[in-house]
Amino acid sequence: MQTKILLDEEEIPRRWYNVLADLPSPMDPPLHPQTQKPVGPGDLSALFPMELIRQEMSPDRFIDIPAEVRDVLTLWRPSPLYRAKRLEQFLKTPAKIYYKWEGVSPAGSHKTNTSVPQAYYNMKAGIERIATETGAGQWGSALAFATMLYDLQCTIYMVRSSYTQKPYRKSMMHVWGAECIPSPSTKTKSGQAMLAKDPDTPGSLGGAISEAVEDAATHSNTNYSLGSVLNHVCLHQTVIGLECREQLQKVDDYPDVVIGCVGGGSNFAGISFPFAGDKMTGKHKEIDIIGVEPASCPSLTKGMYAYDFGDVAGLTPLLKMFTLGHDFIPPSIHAGGLRYHGDSPIVSRLVHDGVMRAVAYHQSEVFDAALTFARTEGIIVAPETSHAVKAAIDQALECRKTGEAKTILFNCSGHGNFDMSAYDAFHAKQLVDYEYPDELIKQSLARLPKIS
Amino acid sequence: MPLIGFLINPVAGLGGTVGLKGSDGVAEKALMLGAVPRSGERALLMLNQVRRKDILFFTCAGPMGEEILKKAGTSLINIIHHPAPDTTAADTREACRRFLSENVDLIVFCGGDGTARDVFDVTGSQIPVLGLPAGVKMYSGVFALDPSAAASVLDNLESTGRRDAEILDIDEEAYRSGTLATRLYGIARVPVLGEKIQPAKNIFEEQDEERAKDEIARFITRVMLPDTYYIIGAGSTTERIATHLGVKKTILGVDVLMNGRMVAEDADEKTLLSFLDEKTPARIIISPIGSQGFIFGRGTQQISAEVIRRVGLDNIIVVATPAKCRATPSLHVDTGDPSLDSAFPESLQVISGYSIARRKNVGR
Repeated sequence: MQTKILLDEEEIPRRWYNVLADLPSPMDPPLHPQTQKPVGPGDLSALFPMELIRQEMSPDRFIDIPAEVRDVLTLWRPSPLYRAKRLEQFLKTPAKIYYKWEGVSPAGSHKTNTSVPQAYYNMKAGIERIATETGAGQWGSALAFATMLYDLQCTIYMVRSSYTQKPYRKSMMHVWGAECIPSPSTKTKSGQAMLAKDPDTPGSLGGAISEAVEDAATHSNTNYSLGSVLNHVCLHQTVIGLECREQLQKVDDYPDVVIGCVGGGSNFAGISFPFAGDKMTGKHKEIDIIGVEPASCPSLTKGMYAYDFGDVAGLTPLLKMFTLGHDFIPPSIHAGGLRYHGDSPIVSRLVHDGVMRAVAYHQSEVFDAALTFARTEGIIVAPETSHAVKAAIDQALECRKTGEAKTILFNCSGHGNFDMSAYDAFHAKQLVDYEYPDELIKQSLARLPKIS
Repeated sequence: MPLIGFLINPVAGLGGTVGLKGSDGVAEKALMLGAVPRSGERALLMLNQVRRKDILFFTCAGPMGEEILKKAGTSLINIIHHPAPDTTAADTREACRRFLSENVDLIVFCGGDGTARDVFDVTGSQIPVLGLPAGVKMYSGVFALDPSAAASVLDNLESTGRRDAEILDIDEEAYRSGTLATRLYGIARVPVLGEKIQPAKNIFEEQDEERAKDEIARFITRVMLPDTYYIIGAGSTTERIATHLGVKKTILGVDVLMNGRMVAEDADEKTLLSFLDEKTPARIIISPIGSQGFIFGRGTQQISAEVIRRVGLDNIIVVATPAKCRATPSLHVDTGDPSLDSAFPESLQVISGYSIARRKNVGR
């Protein structure tokens, strides 16, 4: 039995897969925050280069990956697909567990799969600086790496609680030449407003997005870049799932279950969209696709499917997605990258349509799973990734009960080498099992008038 | 043979059920309001659970110990003090002086913070003490969780450890007028058996705490339902909810609100039950008492087992700030009705911020 299933560099996908092409009906369009009319390419041009706007709205099933981008991707792609033999043995499960290891990228996670093409298209468009936000720092460091490759300046608004919790992520950004600012900051109007409201706020991804968007919109040489949620970001991540399908084919397998953790949804989209396409086009109707989110920020499992802003200040277009409300500041869990009130509109749509489903776990149970993984497979995963590990283990244990030999595939999206304080807190039994009081909220929402 | 000094404050807890927040100097008023002494009953509950038969009890004649020991079938009793019929704090202190001269291994007293203070006045840290909770306020760290915890301390006395425990007391006059003024009165020694001794109540007044209370209040006021009685327990976190509604709440009393208005201030059990006779939905909003984690049974005796039953276990909202949550490893219920206590779910959601909750196990 093979432990690592590897592809040649020649086998890095040449095209990204656009799942929009296989949806049975078009998506609800993003709406302009002021007019509430569908946004056109012009509305986004202050923030994004035209090629990314084109990809955001493209109906094409496949979009070519530029040769210059593929050349950079060879630094870590194709990433290995592992058969988790030791974990299987430990769990005494008849299931086969595979994990796609994205922690081999320079920044240590899947995020570079989109930071590189995004920086590339901005460079091509003559942009000099990119502003962005980061939660746990995975995206910030990935964009810092990518902008360095193309000689762009990079300003990163990092959620304050992570800025203090994960100082080494900030150091990585500095190594790659980026500027990292704790958010909310006094540099932007929206940051000032957040600080005026609450000077001690831990910050949130939604708040940091507001700052980065404002920075980009008010500087003509500057564009904005988002590390998740948007269609073009999910598109870039599909290299993960496309490679997985090839790798599994080499061992004559195909997944029954596909799992990824969900904050904004991009790593989950990356591993699952090619398989969701197979499901929607009837090639593999039975595949079970599971997004895993924290119980403290359970947008897919407890949120509402509605139009909402992508940020705290209400600067972004209104997106139809599962949301807990753009003013919701999730508790400071260690999986900072999953602290987002909304979700990718495509992931939301697919969950809403039943193509995918979602589950939520508490903080301490996912760390327990991560520990099991580290002690069997060796890899110490990021707190975000531990959510996917937990779901995979639960699926495998379910197989032990039923005796089914399912093939389980999960995205091992990043390493936790800068998250050791979180593991320390787990060992000291200091992790808090936050959750979202959905019952109280639902009861109070039930009496609100319906707005069409 | 262990030598135990045993004393009961017969009027402890009298003020609680009638909303007096303490019994010091108001025992008569409480009895007139229909309060029934319960401290003897609590002591009996403990004695009935003690398995060993080799304990020599030193105690006071009559209701301060002797009656209950006899009721429990204890034969090894040594009467060391004969109080007058209307027992006072002076009797508690006199009994403790006798316990000291008898060189007892442990003093077990049944009462509240006031009794703890009286005992401590005499014993200091010379002899370990163990409180059996029967008062209105039990902020001190000398109290066992419940009668059965106290009984197991006696059964395992030789293998228990010792630790320091703060004696706190609250200015009862200030307490009744809505100010929570506690002070450290002294450090006593308590026998330690696992985790079952109540740690001293912490009161948080950090900046962070104030923000957290506002976040909780902002959330609760958002999800409050119309035409529903909200029975709001004591404490500064629940008080903040009323403040957000523009209502002035008694910090230590139980108040009833509906549609953002005060319906009954500082309600006693009878008043609460009178609301619950109607067919109107009701909810209880309550905060655990400091690091003890008690949500029912300590300090909020107005919210009796009957009140909780009528409101329904599904309609209890527990709130606590993050710092209080940290100092409260689990929640506890001790309503005095064991079947109700065991009907509580294994864990409850505690609202600790705006749209933020955390799960806490419920001990009983």
